[in-house]
This record gives sequence, C-alpha cells and structure tokens, in this order.
Amino acid sequence: MDLRNINRRLSARFGGAVHAAFADGCVVLTGRLDTWSETVEACQLAAKKYSNLHVVNDIVCAEAQASPQAMRLPSLRDGALEGRRPDVLIIGGGISGASIARELSKWKLDILLVEKECDLALQASGRNDGEVHPGVDLSKGSLKHHYIRKGNAMYDQVCRELDVPFRRVGQYVCFDKGWMKPFIALYCLWRRKHDGIEDTRVISGAELRRREPDLNRDFKFAVSNPSSGCVCPYGLTIAYGENAVQNGAQVSLNTAVLSMEVEGGEIKSVHTNRGTIYPELVINAAGVFAEDVAQMAGDRFFSIHPRRGTNSILDKKAGARFSSIASIMDSSRSRRHSKGGGVLHTAHDNLLVGPDAVETFEKENTATRPQSIDTVFAKQEKTMPTLNRGDIITYFTGVRAPTFEEDFIIEKGRKTSNIIHCAGIQSPGLTTAPAVALDIEKMAVEELRKKKTVVPNESYSPIRHGVPVLREMPDEERAELIRKNPDYGVIVCRCEEVSRGEILDALRAPICVPTVDGVKKRVRPGMGRCQGGFCSPLVAKIIAEFLNVPLDQVKKSAPEADITFGRTK
Amino acid sequence: MREYDVTVIGGGPAGLAAALSARENGAKTLLIEREARLGGILKQCIHDGFGLVRFQEKLTGPEYAQRFIDQVERGGIDVSTLTFVTRLERTQAGFAVTVVDRDGVETILTRTLVLATGCRERTAKQVSIHGTRPAGVFTAGTAQHFTNLLGQLPTRRCVILGSGDIGLIMARRLTLEGAKVLGVYEAKPTPSGLTRNIHQCLRDYDIPLHLSHTVTRVLGEDRLTAVEVAQVDDKMRPIPGTGEIVECDGLILSVGLIPENELAQSLGAELDPRTKGPVCNGQLMTSVDGVFSCGNALHVNDLVDYVSESGELAGRAAARFTPAPRREVELHPSPALLYAVPQRLDLNRDNSKTTLYFRSREVLERCALRLRVDGREVFSKRYPFLRPPEMERLDMDFTRFDLNENSRLELEIEVTGHE
Repeated sequence: MDLRNINRRLSARFGGAVHAAFADGCVVLTGRLDTWSETVEACQLAAKKYSNLHVVNDIVCAEAQASPQAMRLPSLRDGALEGRRPDVLIIGGGISGASIARELSKWKLDILLVEKECDLALQASGRNDGEVHPGVDLSKGSLKHHYIRKGNAMYDQVCRELDVPFRRVGQYVCFDKGWMKPFIALYCLWRRKHDGIEDTRVISGAELRRREPDLNRDFKFAVSNPSSGCVCPYGLTIAYGENAVQNGAQVSLNTAVLSMEVEGGEIKSVHTNRGTIYPELVINAAGVFAEDVAQMAGDRFFSIHPRRGTNSILDKKAGARFSSIASIMDSSRSRRHSKGGGVLHTAHDNLLVGPDAVETFEKENTATRPQSIDTVFAKQEKTMPTLNRGDIITYFTGVRAPTFEEDFIIEKGRKTSNIIHCAGIQSPGLTTAPAVALDIEKMAVEELRKKKTVVPNESYSPIRHGVPVLREMPDEERAELIRKNPDYGVIVCRCEEVSRGEILDALRAPICVPTVDGVKKRVRPGMGRCQGGFCSPLVAKIIAEFLNVPLDQVKKSAPEADITFGRTK
Repeated sequence: MREYDVTVIGGGPAGLAAALSARENGAKTLLIEREARLGGILKQCIHDGFGLVRFQEKLTGPEYAQRFIDQVERGGIDVSTLTFVTRLERTQAGFAVTVVDRDGVETILTRTLVLATGCRERTAKQVSIHGTRPAGVFTAGTAQHFTNLLGQLPTRRCVILGSGDIGLIMARRLTLEGAKVLGVYEAKPTPSGLTRNIHQCLRDYDIPLHLSHTVTRVLGEDRLTAVEVAQVDDKMRPIPGTGEIVECDGLILSVGLIPENELAQSLGAELDPRTKGPVCNGQLMTSVDGVFSCGNALHVNDLVDYVSESGELAGRAAARFTPAPRREVELHPSPALLYAVPQRLDLNRDNSKTTLYFRSREVLERCALRLRVDGREVFSKRYPFLRPPEMERLDMDFTRFDLNENSRLELEIEVTGHE
C-alpha cells in the first residue's frame, strides 16, 4: 500500500484527524484521536501485515492521555550495577531475555540481564496459556512462520536439558459445520506441502469424541495437530534464567532501564535505578516496553499496541476430564491475530480456559475484569459444554506486545549499531523462543566479534536440574529422597503436595526469589484449589527462617508487598 | 506392614472424636494428622464459646481440643502427626493408605477408613472478585492463622466480606489487636453467621454490617490500597452505579467453606451437591463400603459439638463395621431445605436412633418440619424459626415408620404461621 492510498483511507475514516508520512524508513502516523480503539484502527489501517516497513504511532490519543501510563518502577535505588561493563546487556527477563541469556552463556562473555520486576516471567511470559503451537495457519514469509517449526521441534531437547515438564498433548481445531470438511482437508494437504508439516490430519467427529469425550458432541470433524504441547511458561523462563546463571550470566531483578546515552549511533551507557551500565551490546527483549527501549536507544522504528488477554485456571478435577488442547473454529475470522483461545490441559494438570484479546493502551494493567471471564466462557462452552465456572480456582490477565504488522522484530538496530531487537513478541512467542534465542545468539556474537574475540565458554553446561517433584515420583524413589533429606517428607501445601524440602530447594536455586510468590512459581505451594489459604503462612515462615529475618519482612512479591505488619499486641 | 481396624484421617475435632470412639469400641485405631499438632483448626480459634452443648461450658478452641487430645494420649490409639496421606486404594480386606512423613513413604492396611478431612475456605476468585493481585487479601482462616498462631498483624485497616462466623470472629479479633475494621459486607440479605456472633463480634464493637453488599474489585499493585464495594440485587449481582471505593490495606474473606473430599472422591465416594460432602447413611458410611465421613468434611457444621458427635458416630460405626449387603432408601429433602444428612438409610442397619442434621434454605418463622413416607405424614415438629446459619439436629427413630426399599421418604419444611 502506498502512502497516498493510506492517507486516502485514513482521511475517509477519520477525516483530517490523522496523517501518515514516511520518516526514517517508517510509516509515521500523527494527528489526534479521541479513543484508543480509533488509534489502533488507524494504525492497523496503515500497517501491512508481516511487513518490515513498520507503522510508528505518534497519534495523540485523548483517552490514553487522560490516564498517562508511566512505566512502573521498582522503588529500590542503589549502586549495585554502577560502572558495570558487560559485553551484553539484556533488557527484559521474560522468555525471550532468559532464553537469549542462556544461549549466549555458551560463550565466554560477561552477560547481564536486567528485569524491572521482582522475578523473571512476571509479565506476558508468566501470563499466557503455555501452549507450544504446531505451526500451521501462519503465513509464509513472516518471522513467526520462519521460527515456529524450528522452535516447536526444539522443545523436547530444551525441556529435557532444563528439566522442565513438557508434553505433546496434541491440539484440535474443531468444526461444527460438516460441509466444510472437504475444504479443510484440502487446506490441510496444502499446509502439509507448504509447511512440511506431516502430522496434521483431519479426524472425524466420532474419532474426536473417542479421544476427548467432553468436547461438544456437535463437532463434525477436527483438524488434529499432534505436535502441539503444553509447557509451564514461567517454569521454562525461570529454568532458562537459572541455566544462564549457572553458566556465568548475571540476572539483576528489580532493575529498570531509565534512559540511555547514545552517541554517533552507538549506545554509550544505560542508566538504571541500580547504577549506570556501559555495555558493548544491548538486547532489547522488553516486551510491551520494547518500543520505549528502542526510543531510548534512538532506534524507534516500530510501535507496540498492547493487547490484553485473560485466562482462567480450573481445578485439577476438571483437568482430569480432558487431556489435550482444543478450540472451536471461529467463523468470524476478521481481525484475528491468534486462534482465539481454547481449552487446554496444562503442564500441571489443570484445565485452562482462554484467553480473550482486548486492545488497551495500558501496558501494565493486568487487573482482571468479569467481562473477560464471561466472554471466554461464552465462547469456550461451545468447545466444551461441560465447562463449569464453579471449577475456577483463579484467573489472570497478561498483556501481549504486538506490533501493528503483527510479526516479530528480530534484527539489529536500524540506526543504532549496538542494539539487537527482539520485539513484537506475542503468540506464538513462547513456541518460537528457543529458535529465536539461537539466532539472536549468532547475531550478538557476530556483532561482538567486530570489537573483540569471542571464545566458547568451556565450562558451559546445557543441563539444569530443577527442584525434584516428589509428588510425581514412585514411592521407592520418593522414600529414598526422604531418607537423604527428611524435609521432603513434610508436606506444607496440601493441595499441590509440596514438601518443606522442595520449598527450601527453591530458595537455594541459582536465582533466589525469597517471596511467597517466588516460591509459588517455582515449586507450586499455593497454586492449588485453596490458593494458599492453608500454606501461605507456613511458606512465609519457612522463608523467614531461611533468610533469618522477622516474619513481617517476608513479602508476597515486590519489596512493597507486605504480608503482615509486625507483632500483634 | 502395619494393619489397623480403623484408620482416621484428620486430627481435628471430628477425627479426634472418631478415633476415641473407635478405640472405645474395641478397634485397633490409627489417627493420621498432617500437621505437627493435633486439634485441626481449633488450634487457632482462641475465642471462647466452644463446648456449650457438650460440656455446658464455654471453652476456647484449644481448650476444647485438649480435652480430646488428653484422652487420645491416654493410649490405645496410634497417632501419626506430620504425616500426609498421598493415596488411598481398595484392597481385598479393606484399604491401603499410603502416607509420607519424615521417615519416608509407608503403606498401611486398614479394614475401615474414617475421613475427617475438614474443609477449606472459598477464595476471592471463587466469588468472582476481580482486579489486581496485591498482598493483603486473606481468607478469614488465613488471617486468623497469622494473628493467633504466628502473632502477626495481617492488616491495619480492613474490610471483611462475608458474615460467616470466622469473618465475624476475625472482625472482633482484629479490632482487639488495634486494627480498624471498616465494615462487614454480606451479599445475602441476611447474615451468614450465628446471631450471637453478630452481637458479640460486631454490635459490641460498633462494626457496621452492610447486608446485600459485596466487594467487586480489589485495587493496589503491591499491597492492597482499596476495594470497590457495591450493592447487589436479589440474585446477588452487583447493581451498576452503586460501586464505592473503600480505602483499606486488607480484605478478609469469610465467604463459605468447602468440605475437602478429594480423598473420598479418589475412592469413588458419591458426593452430595448440596452438602459437597459424601452421601452417607445413618451410620455415616459413604457410598463406598467401609469408608465413613464425619465433621466438616461431611457437611459444614456451625458448632464444634456436633462435629465431635458425628465423629463419634462414624468412629463407632467404623469399629463395628462388618460387610453386609445394603438395602437403602433415600431421604429426599424439599427445596426449602438447604440439605439434610444422612442422605440415605440402610434398612439392614439399626436406624432406631438416627441423628438427622439439616438447615433451611432461608430464614423462616413459625414453621414445621414434616417427614412423609409415601406421601403420608409420619412425623412433624414445629420450629419458631429456622435460620440457614444455624444447623438443626434431631434424633429420629426410623424403625417406627415401617420402611422398605421402595419407600419414598420426604423431608420438608412448611411455614405454618402457627399461633
């Protein structure tokens, strides 16, 4: 679409309120609009899907201006990182940043990963459904398409190396209109040829019911993708991070990038709340803030439009009735950027329902809303009529970080030489992360070699041992571990059957996050049906004893998340 | 391999009573408790009012529990604390109970099981509270654990959602600890807790009770900063436009208890959707032969005295259990009843002194409980009032009614307006 065309359409839709212009190799939109949804619409109108000519949104949106959203910063101020000169500074401790850190740790490099939250995977990487996608249904030529099969295929090995549970449970896209079957069968054949995906099949309604009796009995057929799987997304992120740390990388939590000094197209220094850092190379894996980081680096050539999604987690009793991933084929396919949610048997044997997709200008607003649950259940009850809201044990909202082109940005800076962007990461970003990390590793090493020699890290080990999961062990193995460490025999969390020994192991892990939520994410006390009602005081007490601090110093998550206010009278 | 006649799972008031009565009835008895100390939730209930029915005395929770613990410690019952049941399986002669403790993994054989696993609290997400996920949102029992067992103040200024007894008790407790309790909000038009607690815990401390109101949203990123409260309609849905922000650092939830029956379900015990406990007969035996249920796992009780009573009944029945074919009739409660326990009667067992527990669905005045057999009224009892928070208890001699397995047994409440 040429610029004239874009402006004609913008003007037809918004009068003279918005205007598009080429600047610095981007399509820059300026003007004024009242609502965020109009702003998104304008940018989408100007954007070409999967193009690397990006839309940059400089529209002044009254709705967004009315409640300005400054990035939430950690309260911590110290000089812990002052004067650090890492070879690589990775900004963002989500799945992208953590996996890049791990792959780069194969090289003898000084790697520093900074994350503004108090743990890894606290934003989108910890707030998604954990599906490892099969890699059909993405247009050729996109980076998503380029990476998804590679990423999917890597999962067995990566999860084995990092000791993260992963199962290829299979995915079904279900259809209730029988007449569509021949067309979909043809489409599958074409996809097989086009994408080289051999295992995609059309299965009959009867076969679908045999495999998953709880799915809607009106489904006439389904597309089966056996290579789909489920992983614990934050578990994988933490595992990547821990392996990186084992191999010499440093992870600094509660560390936010505030600004950068850029000179002659090169980042000279990076200011954080914990001191100024002088990196050779910066990797932008900042999720919804990737545009902000690019801006700081003088290299803003894309825009992020945050998209919120809410998932519900249902009791394991509901999880036991269904073993895979399924969704109903949505006939209203316009403006779809994901398969529109579904039902999924999680890596921890719960049932997950969701997500929805709602455009928002609030990058960090992860508050849940009842309407999201209503929308998601109204839709997924068609997939699985036995869904029962009474089985919900929790729900959470995450914010995706798409560009208007709806593709990833994995490339070196366009104007700034020492930055690599890993931006626009949204679904299937979890699936692609292992493959993307390998490419970014290559790009980074190539870049660094322009300045210095880069040699392999001879003590690198890809193997990370997670905390043993005793509830899943045969009795003899469990008894043997308890003999060695009797704390493994003291159950603290009754719902998830987590022992004191496992909690202490989590606290002794390479990345220690001694908070109730930190322990919960690592070994699951409080993840069950009572949601920590019984165990949270016990976990807090174990943490206090481990840190040798008073109980009121133990936090739920961030340093300000007080659980109690000191001794009673 | 250790073998027992009766294995009781859960060392709270129900389990303690069950173990004692199993022993008294000659059974070789094992009591399993996952925590380090016996007493269950009573350990943290340091207020008084326990034991009025049973001992005609006002005891604190720990005092009440201690009376039973003392008897258990007199011997004759094997007690395993810090022991967690991971698995139950049927065997030819009964059940295999697999436990973990500091010594490892052990499988114990038992002829019968008494499940006294208590209940858990309903959480914020289970009552559709939305918003952020800050610290400062506690179920009442968790807040009580922090306050009474760990000596830590969980809030300085809080809102309590739900007028269940634990919520009311915590309103008073936190006030005494110097916290400001801004109000108790209850979605129902009537209180959920006992009348005596409304007086002793709220009125005496000038804590407002807002009926037909609920909390819809929590605010605050790290620690709670406020909640949104709203009025609800008669279907308990928030009425748009009535929302109001209340600044506070704590939200305490007392929004219901859910009997814990995952172990019962693992053996295939049928659950009653009304009680969320196992369907039991007059001996408190579940649908699985040799598996008994009691206390709050069977149905949520209002007074611990009744919890102990059901424990005793289950313990005795478990000790005396011999396999026999069942000849059961169902007891059908009318919609005016929230539930009735037991749900069935086994005509092959003694039903001459069956204890019936029930609750009405709504607050009713001047009404009568009627029992009908095949449409014929065989029993009635008048009540000046029935309130859902207050469980009713009744001893019945069902042998009087000449029941057979085809009898239709109906229990109903009728508002008589009797003079």
